Amino acid sequence: MGHTEISSLNRGRSLPHFYDEDRLVILPRDPRCIFAYWELSTATRERVEKQAGGEHQPFYVLRVYQHARNDAGNAESYFELHPGREDASWYITVPEPDRLYSVELGWISPQGSFQVLLHSNKIRTPRDSISEIIDEEWQLPDWKAQKLFRRISLHHLSSAEFMRRVKK
Amino acid sequence: MAQGFLAIVLHAHLPYVRHPEHRRSLEEKWFFEAITECYIPLLMVFEQLHAEGIDYRLTFSLSPTLVAMLEDPLLQERYRDYLRGLQELTRLEKERTAGDPDFAPLAELYRKHFDDAAAYFDRFNGRLTGAFRSLAEKGCLELITTASTHAYLPLLVQRENIYAQLANAVQYHQAIFGEPPRGIWLPECAYDRGLEEIPAELGLQYFITATHGLLYASPRPKYGVYSPILTKSGVAVFGRDPETSKQVWSSQEGYPGDYDYREFYRDIAYDLPLDYIGPHLHPPGMRSDTGIKYYRITREGLEYKEPYRPEKAREKAAQHAGNFMFNREQQVKYLAAAMGRPPIIVAPYDTELFGHWWFEGPQWLDYLCRKIACDQQHVKMITPGEYLDLGYPLQIATPNPSSWGDKGYHEFWLNGSNDWLYRHLHKAAAEMIALATAHTETDKLTERALGQAARELILAQSSDWPFIMTAGTMVEYARNRVKNHLIRFRELIRQIKENAIDPHWLGELEQTDNLFPHLDYRLYRNMETTVPVEMPAGASIP
Repeated sequence: MGHTEISSLNRGRSLPHFYDEDRLVILPRDPRCIFAYWELSTATRERVEKQAGGEHQPFYVLRVYQHARNDAGNAESYFELHPGREDASWYITVPEPDRLYSVELGWISPQGSFQVLLHSNKIRTPRDSISEIIDEEWQLPDWKAQKLFRRISLHHLSSAEFMRRVKK
Repeated sequence: MAQGFLAIVLHAHLPYVRHPEHRRSLEEKWFFEAITECYIPLLMVFEQLHAEGIDYRLTFSLSPTLVAMLEDPLLQERYRDYLRGLQELTRLEKERTAGDPDFAPLAELYRKHFDDAAAYFDRFNGRLTGAFRSLAEKGCLELITTASTHAYLPLLVQRENIYAQLANAVQYHQAIFGEPPRGIWLPECAYDRGLEEIPAELGLQYFITATHGLLYASPRPKYGVYSPILTKSGVAVFGRDPETSKQVWSSQEGYPGDYDYREFYRDIAYDLPLDYIGPHLHPPGMRSDTGIKYYRITREGLEYKEPYRPEKAREKAAQHAGNFMFNREQQVKYLAAAMGRPPIIVAPYDTELFGHWWFEGPQWLDYLCRKIACDQQHVKMITPGEYLDLGYPLQIATPNPSSWGDKGYHEFWLNGSNDWLYRHLHKAAAEMIALATAHTETDKLTERALGQAARELILAQSSDWPFIMTAGTMVEYARNRVKNHLIRFRELIRQIKENAIDPHWLGELEQTDNLFPHLDYRLYRNMETTVPVEMPAGASIP
């Protein structure tokens, strides 16, 4: 039928394992577990290794922060995990459902201080029980008056773009 | 006057499995089987009910990938071809079983089954979306959509991803079915906080969560799962009823496990000699299900199986429909008294259960609709949209992050077998967002390349790939699919950035990964650089 083979569609390429960038992302798995994955760029790694001194491998630390329920102020507490140099992800058991968490990846300097390399996003773990909050507020929306929106560019905000793309 | 409502929601989804590079692929067969065993039998039931004036309502969620396959001319032609093969096989089977009191009637049953499917398919010129649309226009079905490629939304991270998945789905649904959907099925019922803002902006009025998505909502919902709640962004959220789910799904107590029902795992593909059956297998010579199955479940875990007795199975389907209805009546009476207003029981199922896994599922649904319409007054069938129109005040609350998968949260889609995926998906999305934001206006060729990049990304995001990796069958296929789409994506963006787009290769990709021809890459623009603008009533974006 003359259809193209996979290899030519992929142009013989493969997916890289890493992207040579600094990145730490966390995802919620369940009420008591979050998944973290990260990557340190070659430049960052080399800088850390240089600072750590030639004969010692840097000692990496994942610092897991628990934040206030209303996200006010600094983190309430944290605990630490010790990934190996080759690790790039971790399932982190966390103490509380329905809590905000964030993670930092850093290393312990020769002087013994925690040096942050990567900050993660912040996520809230799911609840695993019925809510204690019993405030009741009721509303009756007008389901017939539902409005539809489309996004247009803020920086190129012109009625021309909108009119061109909206067809009555 | 009914004391309560039953909303049966059928969610129909298959990943985009279209392989022009193979003459026959096992994955395309998933789709063909679902057409013959589920969609056509169900559509025939619905049409017949309507023709007889039975008042019934069902909600049907049709995934955009499934709709795109139903609309694809190559797959339509291949389906006809596949079906012709089975029609021939049933003729051979009629000869082979002639005179056998047990099997000859069954061979005839399948002969009719496939011939009916072929006739039905031709009646709509191969476009089954027309059959769904027509039932929706008659008011029997409420058609809703889901994320474009059924992405597992809580793990997509970037909001632009979620926006593109949903906005494209809504536009595509409107283009095919003529009306924008009122509700959206969250793939795998997977919800995370804040997700509701995007359906709200797209004019979607409701979605459905797992039972504990609603039960653990905050503030605590006064009526549990038996009334929707309203999120602050104005989207209603219905919760899955656990009782109806158990009666149908449970492997122990569920109806589909009844010993009189047809045995799914005993297919003639495995019983008959290869020199006879081989040419009729798909792909040829490889033992995989034909759909022709002559035995009943008989006993669980027992190798010995007795021949299938269709009339006995039909009686059971009727009995089970009666039992289901009776339980709903009791449930509704109890809940209505406790709540002081009519409860709604939301019962969502995978469509592929009906007909494929549970052969008698469409019959059961047929009996259920008839019995509810004619044999009682306590329960009325309704769609979530119709329920909202009744105008009950809704309690404001935020659902709890959850899914209807194993263990109730995200683990089935995030574990050691598939977690490697997310680093690549998020990276690709970040690149897509950056490029889409940078290219507000562009030349034709770049526009095509960006559109194809969006297509490759959105295909890589199907929840099916991590699902298959966890389930453990066809894992290689799923891994390759994600990798292929991401590799093509990366090569496209490299070419775009280096201003070196290869039009010939781009054309080949457009032919192969060809779904959503109007997918607008601009849906990926950084949301901080865009602003929602209200659409004039009745408007649509080309």
